[in-house]
This record gives sequence, structure tokens and C-alpha cells, in this order.
Amino acid sequence: MAQSSTADAARPSAPVAPSEQYNYAIVKKFAIMSLVWGVLGMGVGVYIAAQLAFPFLNFDIAQISFGRFRPVHTTLVIFGFGGNALFATSYYVVQRTCQTRLFGTRLAEFTFWGWNAAVFLGAITYMAGFTQGREYAEFTWQIDILITVVWVAYFLVYLMTLLRRTQPHIYVANWFFMAFILATAILHIFNNLAVPVSLFSLESYSLFSGVQDAMTQWWYGHNAVGFFLTAAFLGMMYYFVPKQAGRPIYSYRLSIVHFWALVFLYMWVGAHHLHWTALPDWVTTLSATFSILLLLPSWGGMINGVMTLSGAWDKLRTDPIMLFMITSLSFYGMATFEGPMMSLKSVNALSHYTDWTVGHVHSGALGWVAMITFGSLYHLIPRLWDTKLYSIRLVYVHFFLATIGIVLYIVAMWVAGIGQGLMLRAFDEFGNLSYTFIETVVFLHQPYVVRALGGGLFLAGMLLMAFNIYKTVMPVHRALKAAESRTAGGATATARA
Amino acid sequence: MSESGQSPEAPAGKGVPTTGHTWDDNLRELDNPLPRWWLWGFYATVIFSLIYWLLYPAWPVADTFTKGLSTVTFEVDGEERTTHWNSRALLVRDMQTGDSALRQREFLQVIDDSTLDEVLGDTNKLAFVNSYGRGMFGDFCAACHQTGGAGLMGVYPNLADDNWHWGGDVETIAQTITHGRLGFMPDYREVLDEQQRDHVAAYVLSLAGYEGDAEKIARGGEIFQGREGGCHACHRHDGTGLRSQGAPDLTNDIWQNIDVAGAEDDAARRALISQLVHDGVRQEMPAFGDRLSDAEIKVLATYVHQFGGGQ
Repeated sequence: MAQSSTADAARPSAPVAPSEQYNYAIVKKFAIMSLVWGVLGMGVGVYIAAQLAFPFLNFDIAQISFGRFRPVHTTLVIFGFGGNALFATSYYVVQRTCQTRLFGTRLAEFTFWGWNAAVFLGAITYMAGFTQGREYAEFTWQIDILITVVWVAYFLVYLMTLLRRTQPHIYVANWFFMAFILATAILHIFNNLAVPVSLFSLESYSLFSGVQDAMTQWWYGHNAVGFFLTAAFLGMMYYFVPKQAGRPIYSYRLSIVHFWALVFLYMWVGAHHLHWTALPDWVTTLSATFSILLLLPSWGGMINGVMTLSGAWDKLRTDPIMLFMITSLSFYGMATFEGPMMSLKSVNALSHYTDWTVGHVHSGALGWVAMITFGSLYHLIPRLWDTKLYSIRLVYVHFFLATIGIVLYIVAMWVAGIGQGLMLRAFDEFGNLSYTFIETVVFLHQPYVVRALGGGLFLAGMLLMAFNIYKTVMPVHRALKAAESRTAGGATATARA
Repeated sequence: MSESGQSPEAPAGKGVPTTGHTWDDNLRELDNPLPRWWLWGFYATVIFSLIYWLLYPAWPVADTFTKGLSTVTFEVDGEERTTHWNSRALLVRDMQTGDSALRQREFLQVIDDSTLDEVLGDTNKLAFVNSYGRGMFGDFCAACHQTGGAGLMGVYPNLADDNWHWGGDVETIAQTITHGRLGFMPDYREVLDEQQRDHVAAYVLSLAGYEGDAEKIARGGEIFQGREGGCHACHRHDGTGLRSQGAPDLTNDIWQNIDVAGAEDDAARRALISQLVHDGVRQEMPAFGDRLSDAEIKVLATYVHQFGGGQ
């Protein structure tokens, strides 16, 4: 607020380029880090997938074994790749749709360094063997505090920018981003309530115990999926799909109804991860029905995205970015159908503790989250640097690599999960279990090989994207540097402030 | 930049108006109603949930919860009992009256009523043993003794050969499973020096039929048979071993803890044995008597007995 240059830029009539009117510098940083973590996180994912198929690949080195690399993988892809993509797109979208410069340049800068420091420290501590042992929240308590501070800063930046908008209405994408920021704050704080062993220890004890602890973890776990990986990426979708398609959103009413239904219903469903456990039956029944109720509200977002294209389907023939977006919505629709089905107790009895769950998560994470992110970043990055993509053909190649990779992944996990689930409950003519546990594990080998292959294809696509973006951005970056050195510093320094 | 207002062109065709808002130059929203199929689909899930809540435990009320109309009936001490639907009652009912549970219990009763020899002599009973025992061996034993009972050199005894430390008849196997075993040979690091251990090694090799330095063998024999080593106390004077002590037979060239037969030459063989004498042996097999029923131990014992090494 205090900076006069910021106030000037916010005036819509000011004859300035978007890159000066808006804070694009912060968006650029987050966008690039998203790709960096994406390559690393998916690389680790493929490596541990290969370890499951060929266990010798851990080479008896504790730091890179499955147990430690698994949280490294999930943290790098969810919070590194996904988180940075969300920061980038939400900062971009809120500025563009509010027609105002981002509040708090330095505060936003802090969110960048704080967030990425947390992701980096997380990965290092997991490899060193320190974990809180809570799924998708393995960060030790010091890192949890850092994340909390960063998140409050994020909330402030976002909210203050919204308040300073020059538009009368708040665009739908911002509702979703706002819900994501608020819900994630609540989830993060309550799930991580813990008593440290000592001031200088990385260890801590959860404030909750027994059933309550399990319940809290999955209340967090599923809402991390609901708000971090769904609501926030719907916010992304609501901006970039109509932008890329050049079409209006299909239905304003549907966006309102499905938004409120989604954020209300998601909070109840965490216990469906704990069917047939020590949790009281009423808790899991309730969560199962709320999961069923969540099906159509989830599909609301898919309908709004897909129908936005209606009348412009021909774009799919010529625009690989649109292909990414539509495919992501299809996977979103499929995963949000599969989820409620798996939340039913009878289905869950078969699917739980098998790779079906892993496949389900990845049809959401690769199919929906990563694909919509790829589409959005391919749209966003050339605009940030005011240039054109280096190669559209490579985007096509990326699209097909990613799609084939996902399909291989999901099908392999269906075979592995349903197969093992059926083996575990098979009885012979004497009423004995037909298989020992180890036999059901041996069965997994081939699906695991196929899964690693699918993940490898997906990673190859990600590497292509990184290359494509590098070739897109670097010439502009070099030109800017050259111009900067010619003007000898003075003017650019003020523009940055 | 652009002020809000109706867009001049009618987007998405068919003349559906937008809400009149515009963001970022061209972001608009059509004023389409909720798709009918979507709305009815949502109502259907609401009805589904209402029925579900009516049938099963669902909502917390004060310090209890709604029980639902669905019930489970099962037996407790011969008395039939009916409760509201809950997963514990389902498990009890399944274990009492489930198809597989009934069949398994029937077969286990037959085994329980038979002696070990009766089980071994009856193909029907053996058929059950081979089904149930395979699963039990896979889940309880194979982690150490490996699939098929082949064991691991130096750690877990091979159950599929004809060499038994504690005895390979079916009763002894059952006893081993029930109570576990503690295999122990004292270490001689402070009793015998390197040269003496080497002599003992030469003597032990001669027991198993290997040729070697006659002088070393003679000195080793003195240690083995005399008070200095006292090896004969467990391994007996002829080296065939006392089963009551779990002492292996040293004469049959079957080696459990060190791969003598696979060693390169005489020096390597002696080095292996000398090291074992230096270190001693301490191996434990846990007791399963408090984890498995008598009938289950009978099944396992007869199953293991059939591996090919049974006596």
C-alpha cells in the first residue's frame, strides 16, 4: 500500500505494459520453481516405483530407500510442483481478474522463499530420517511453523489484493483460491498440533492419540486432496480454460452451487479412509454418504469446464494446450466418480490396503492436477515473458507421453489392486485362505513394472516441458539482461521496487 | 479496462445471455440454468444418503448415535443375539456361520481329534493339512525358513533335507513349534588359541570324511575328545551329535551355519570352522504354542514333516 509505484500501476488507465502494471516477477519465480520441483518429484516417484518392482535398486542406502523417498516424492510433487503452480497461477489470476497489482511485493517475495525453503528442508529431513509420520504432513514441527507463517502471509497478500480490486465482482476462480487458502490453514494447523520433545529436537508427539489421531490425520489427508488438489486447481481451471478457449464459462449458477456444495461436503469425508478400523461405525458411514453426496458437486466443475468448450470443439484439433485441459477435466470426472465408489464400505473392503488406492490418487494427481497445471503453465509462461512457446509440436508430444503414461499407470494399479484384493479374500474348498500374503505380493511384480513404465513416460513428458519452457524463456531472459546492462541499472531498479 | 456490461456478440451460440460481468478483457459467464440431469443426479445421491442413514449407524446424537434399522444376528455362548448393524458383530457372525469358517472349523476339529500319525496316514486329512499348512507356513514360518523350507545358510535351518538338529519325527517337530528352540554352542575365543582352533577344525573335517594333516587331526582329536575342548559332551565321541542338545551331526558333511562343502580348499574350510569355534552359536526359534491352537500346530508339524526330511 505504501509504495507509490504500486499504487500508480494499479490505476487501470495508466498506459503501462501488463508486465509493469502487475507483479509478474513473483509469478515467474513460482512458475519456474513449479517445473523444477515437478522434474525432481516425478523423478523420485519413478525411482521408487522402480524400487517396488526391483527392490535391489535401493542399493541398501537408507537415504534413498522407498520408506524415506516416498514422502520426498509426495512432498515435492504436491507442495513443490503443485504448490508453486498454485502460488503462480493464483497470484496471476487474482491480479488479472481484480485488475490491480499484487499487494505486498516483499510479502509475496517472502511467500516464495519461505515456501520453497519448507519444501527443500522437508525433503532433506525425510532423507535424513526425520518425519512426523503423518501422511502428506511429514514435515517436522519447525518446518510446520515456517509453513504456517508463510501461509498467513499468502492469505494476507491474496486477501488484500482482492480488497483492492478495481472490478465490482469477484471472479469465480478467486472463490476457489480463497477457499483453498482458508481451508489449508485450518487443516495444517490442527493436523500438526504437537508437543516437541525439546526446543532443539526435530521430534515431537502428536497432541491427539489413538482413534482421534487417526481421525485427525485423515480429516487432514482427504481435505488436502479436497482443498489443495481439487478446489485450488478448479480455481486454476476457471481462469485458464475459458481464457484458452476464448469462451465464456458455461453456467454462473452451476459455479455458485457446486462451489458451496463442494466446500461444505468435502470437510466430512476424511473418515472413509478408515473403514473397517477401530473408528466407530457411525463415523465411517457418515463419511461414506457424504462422499456419495460429493459426486455431483465435483462433477459441477467438470461440466462447467467441458461445456465452456461447447461450440469450439474444433480447437481440440489445433490446440494441444486445450487438449491438456480437456483431458484433465475428463480425468477429474473419472477420479471423482471412482472416489465415492471406493468410499462405500463393501467396495472399500476389497480396495483398501491395495494399489487400487494408489492408482486412484494418481488418476487424480497425474490426470487432473498435473494435466491442468501443464495446460495452464503452457498458457501462462509465454504471456509472462511476452513471447511465444518455443515449440507447439513438443507440447503435442508431451501430451501424448503424459496421457499414455497415465493410462498405463492407472490400468496397472487396477490390475494390482483388484487382483491382490481378490487374492487376499479367496478361500479354497477347505475353507482356508487360498494364498499366503507373500504370494499376493509376488503377484504385484508385473503390474509394478508397467506402473514404473507409465510413470517413466509421464516423467519424460515433464522433461520435454522443462526443455520447451527453457528454450521459450531463455532468449527473452537474455535479451532483458542485455537491455538492463545497457541502461546501466538505474531505471530498472525502481521498476523492480 | 473493459467495463462490465452485456457482451456485444452472443457467446456460445443459441443466444444464452451472460451475467453481464466481464473480467480481464474477455472472461464472462453464461447464465445457463443448472443442467437437469446434474440436479436430478444430485437429488438421487441425497435420497441414497437418506436411506443409508435410515439403515445404518450414522449421526451422532448427544453422547450416542442413531443406530439404524438394519440388524446383525449372531451367537454368544449358545445364545442368539441381535444388535444394530455394526462391523464387529458382522465379523463375529462371519466367523461363526460364514461358509468358509464353518468348513475350516469342521476340518480342524477332525485334526484335533486325530493323533499325528493318524493325520499322516490319511489322505483326506493330509489334503486339508497341505492346504491349511501351506498358508500357515507361508505366513508364520517362511519369513525365516524360506518358501519350501529351504532355510538360509548360517541363520535358519533347512527343513527340507534329512538333517535334523533336534529330531525330525513328527512329534519332535510339533514340540519344536510349540516351545521353540534355543540353539547354543559356547564361544571358545578365550579357551582355545588360534592354533588349537585350527587343529580342532582339522579333526572336525576328518570326521566328515575330508583328508588333512594327520598331525593336526591327532592334536585336534585330543582337544575334541578331552577336557580341554570338551566338544564330545554335546557332539558325542563319534561326532554324530546329541539331539537333546540340538547338537548337529558332524560326520555327514551337511553344514548349517557355515558353507564348508562350498569352500575352496582345505585352508578355507578350516578357517570357517575355526571362526565358528571362536564365535560360538546362538540361535533362537520363537515358541508358537501361545499363538496357535493345538490343531494348528498339528497341521504345521505334519506339513513340515512332508517336506522330504521327515523321519
